[in-house]
Amino acid sequence: MGHPNVGKSVFFNRLTGAKVFESNYPGTTVDFMKGWMRLGGEDVELIDVPGTFSLEPKDKAEEVAVKMLTENKDSVVVCVLDASKVERGLYLALEIIERGYPVVVALNMWDVAEDKNIRIDVEKLERILGVPVVPTTAISGEGFKELVSKLKEARPAKIEEIIERAGAGKEGGGESAAVSG
Amino acid sequence: MQVKKGVVKVPLSVDERWDLIEKITKQTVEFGAYKHTLKDAIAELTVKPLTGIPVAIAVLYGFWSFFCDFAGTLFTDGFMVKIFDEHWLPWLQSVFPGGLGDPLYALMVDAGHLENGVLVPSDNCFEAFGVLTSGLFVPFGVVLWAVLAFYLVFAFLEDIGYLPRLAVLVDTVLHKIGLHGYAIVPTFLSLGCNVPGVMATRVLETRKQRFLMITLLGIFIPCGAQIGIMQDLVPELMGWIFLTLAIGYLGFGYILNKIVPGESPEIIMDVPPYRMPALRNIARKLWIRTSRFLLVAVPFVLLGCLIVGLMYLTGAMDWLASVLGPLLMVWFGVPKEAVAPLIAGFLRKDLAVGVLGGLMERGVMTHFQVFTSVVLLSIYFPCLATFALMLKEENWKEFLGSLASLVVVVFVYGGLIHLVGLMLGVA
Amino acid sequence: MEKKLSEMDFDEEGTVKEIDENLKKQVAGMGIRVGKNIRMATKQPIKGPVVVEVDKSLTSLGLGIAEKIIVEVGQDENLIDGASERG
Repeated sequence: MGHPNVGKSVFFNRLTGAKVFESNYPGTTVDFMKGWMRLGGEDVELIDVPGTFSLEPKDKAEEVAVKMLTENKDSVVVCVLDASKVERGLYLALEIIERGYPVVVALNMWDVAEDKNIRIDVEKLERILGVPVVPTTAISGEGFKELVSKLKEARPAKIEEIIERAGAGKEGGGESAAVSG
Repeated sequence: MQVKKGVVKVPLSVDERWDLIEKITKQTVEFGAYKHTLKDAIAELTVKPLTGIPVAIAVLYGFWSFFCDFAGTLFTDGFMVKIFDEHWLPWLQSVFPGGLGDPLYALMVDAGHLENGVLVPSDNCFEAFGVLTSGLFVPFGVVLWAVLAFYLVFAFLEDIGYLPRLAVLVDTVLHKIGLHGYAIVPTFLSLGCNVPGVMATRVLETRKQRFLMITLLGIFIPCGAQIGIMQDLVPELMGWIFLTLAIGYLGFGYILNKIVPGESPEIIMDVPPYRMPALRNIARKLWIRTSRFLLVAVPFVLLGCLIVGLMYLTGAMDWLASVLGPLLMVWFGVPKEAVAPLIAGFLRKDLAVGVLGGLMERGVMTHFQVFTSVVLLSIYFPCLATFALMLKEENWKEFLGSLASLVVVVFVYGGLIHLVGLMLGVA
Repeated sequence: MEKKLSEMDFDEEGTVKEIDENLKKQVAGMGIRVGKNIRMATKQPIKGPVVVEVDKSLTSLGLGIAEKIIVEVGQDENLIDGASERG
């Protein structure tokens, strides 16, 4: 899941090779796509969820996204964020984490973020969130191998622990060792 | 499944969540110096009214001329008309058993038409009205190229990220008729084919907005099939036709917005940066949309030809024409000859436009009468496929509402056009 | 000085002070929140929507929505004579 226009469908295409179309306009992929990918010798179903900015739907497309999330309680959520707009991306990611889903965060458009001189400490972010975080560039396919390998490591994270880790890191760098994820 | 333990209440409030994000990003994200680039400047200029509106007009004009040149002149007139009229039609007329007057021949190849009481064969695939002639020529000779050209440019605009900017620019106007700037997307898609257009109404927020949009699409937006044929037959009237339809769209939108209960929330929309379109994406989109269109349209055109042919053969058409004729002639000011094609238009508008164009060429109808008829064809009844989808997307009450609006609009607007024509002395 | 987002001039910058409670959730996903720097990118004529920039991305908001967001503008001057800060 992710915002509109962050390249979710390109992700989906790369992972499954299925026929779906990715578009620039919020809402054009309302008819969601399903596909399958091989993961550790198993065929895993993959759903391309329409783009949404939050889990508070404001149109039918976003409504579909939220419905699909609640209907698939046991699924792993790949949260695709725009690395150059991390903050609002994290908003959605946190919402999903709060609902207890196992999450992998993909920081997509990594190249754009680099162009814009935005530097993200991936390891630290991973530590604070307690879920795998992978930088990717969907167009060129960079980071996809790592993403696939991290899918197995997706796990739900407790929001209170995230708050704790975020808080601890802020108050004093030295203490962060005490709350290793 | 959900995490509910602990002191923290889940889900967090909006403010709590932002606080947390602030804490996280402070430690992990570093924003380096960043200069505004040319791309950013263009991104903003195209959404500013002073610069954006001229750009929008230029883009739409470019869109239109590409559409005409590529689809109309190059493919349809350049190749398809020649192939169908000079080779396919004469060949079929010479080899198909039966000949003029034979029912099966009339149905499949050419019904012919009466000239001074004599049945003469048709000389083009617009008028022949056979399943194998008009039925194939319309979708493959004309419509396919129009739709292809349309979706090509549309997919391009979509992928570079121009559409949201257009949406912002038109929101000012569209919000006044209860819609969003978003509504430009279903409207645009409908110009290709109403079916994906109606589907795209899902980007609108409330039921009211979707109802307004679907109703307006069904009534005022001619699809690529019609536009392609209109452009081919009556290019000199296109401007007037579109102007009339646009006035109707906005005017009746305004009235509907006042009548229909419900909310029309304001726009909240992300305006993404421009980016390079991926050729593969455009190609794939083009393929999916065009093939879907063909799957929907071709069976309907063929079936439409067959049914219209049968109606002519069995005399049902004459009966309907004699019953509805006086009403249509008096109220809308169209001649007797146009009544049958107008009725046939219930099944296939594109076919009906084709026949009307033929009538004009033979001097049976005046320009204004053709104009009135073509506008009427555009506004009354969407095609069967759109109808089916409207039923699916709307509930019964809404569907009946759309239908009622449609009937009212056809009579009021059609009569109004006639009236204006009378006053201007052109009717 | 505080003013409504809808009253900001073209290219004016400010900090979001207050967002209507009902609106908070709706604009949260777009990154618009209290304390954020916000810039008016464009305003459309005849009560059209505004386009604002937050975190280097553009978002379009209806005028009625922009009216429910209060922005603090001209902070720079305030900081200079920070001692005599007016409520």
